[in-house]
Amino acid sequence: MANTETSLKEALASIEGATGVALVDYTSGMALGTMGGSKGFDLSVAAAGNTDVVRAKMRTMEHLGLKGQIEDILITLSDQYHLIRLISGRGGNGLFLYLVLDAKRSNLAMARHQLKRIEEDLEV
Amino acid sequence: MTAVTTTPPPRLPVRDKAEARERAWGGVSPMLTRLAAERATGVLVRERGTLHLAEGRVVHAESPAAPGLGTLLTAHGTLDADTWRQAADEAAEPPGAGLLLVGRGRLTRGALELCHLETLYDAAYFALAPSSTPGRFRYTSPGRSGAVRAVPVAALEHETLRRRDLLHRIWPDPATDEAPLLRADTVALPALTARQRAVLHLVDGVRTAPEIARAMGRPAFHTLVDVRRLAAAGVLVRGALKPAEAARIETTDPDITLLKRLRDALESL
Repeated sequence: MANTETSLKEALASIEGATGVALVDYTSGMALGTMGGSKGFDLSVAAAGNTDVVRAKMRTMEHLGLKGQIEDILITLSDQYHLIRLISGRGGNGLFLYLVLDAKRSNLAMARHQLKRIEEDLEV
Repeated sequence: MTAVTTTPPPRLPVRDKAEARERAWGGVSPMLTRLAAERATGVLVRERGTLHLAEGRVVHAESPAAPGLGTLLTAHGTLDADTWRQAADEAAEPPGAGLLLVGRGRLTRGALELCHLETLYDAAYFALAPSSTPGRFRYTSPGRSGAVRAVPVAALEHETLRRRDLLHRIWPDPATDEAPLLRADTVALPALTARQRAVLHLVDGVRTAPEIARAMGRPAFHTLVDVRRLAAAGVLVRGALKPAEAARIETTDPDITLLKRLRDALESL
């Protein structure tokens, strides 16, 4: 079991090409923890904005009557990947991990796999 | 066809942004800003909640409107109520009880941190709401139980303002925040999320949003978000106020009365 800060640190250190990571509550849009990012990339702003992405997808699924759960959402930019992983644990209802990857340096399949493991370690 | 052109209105005088931010700095609570600067330790009691400070950082917050750490932890089966009560009796404050349970292996550190942060920001949102009476601060010696996570005052103020703004963007009328809620007579119910349905299920004309939050074991602000969305969708309306509150809001100003009647008429269209 890890605390939030070590989990975020681990995500940034162990995932190839990761430049920022945030743990976000998607009802309020608050980042409960962030790590990485840069002057030109404010992770708390990204976190708040991406709650709308998650909410829109969830609403669409409700409209369609889909029963499945979102595992992750991938957004590809020309030079970055943004990976959103919803936390499925018992108490973690309503949180997601947000990972920013440099497209040139990262392995998407590997990153997804590692993020899943980190989510399981977080055990919230 | 004639094009109607009017001269554009003169530009509104705009304040220098950096200066405005500086000025807005004391906007939430100038007292809190001062206490943070002097790295004070103690308890700040405000009209709608209390903040516990340790060396100028916020370590714990409580508000009658927001469910506490225990409610959140026990509501979803993370802990059973007895285990929590026992720990709460032993420790002075909820965070201390949480740490006690982590030490005993009943609770994971991550779960405690997240729940603690959720409750802290949640209670602080209400505690830092505009108040009609000045706050009081009591200096204390540093706590014995230790802190789960300390939050800088600046981060807390920033988040509180962001939350106010978020609610305002969803639906600008705060009428449903504290009053008992009623279901509106809508012909067709819009598609709702599972959480919104859960909130709506608890709406009975008596419960207020904070009471619904407590019944669901969710942070009060999160419930306010859902309630404002439901109000915006026309599914929820404010019910009759409790007598004491009704008296406070009653006004005899003819302009305000007229505006209210106009609003009610427009809403019922």
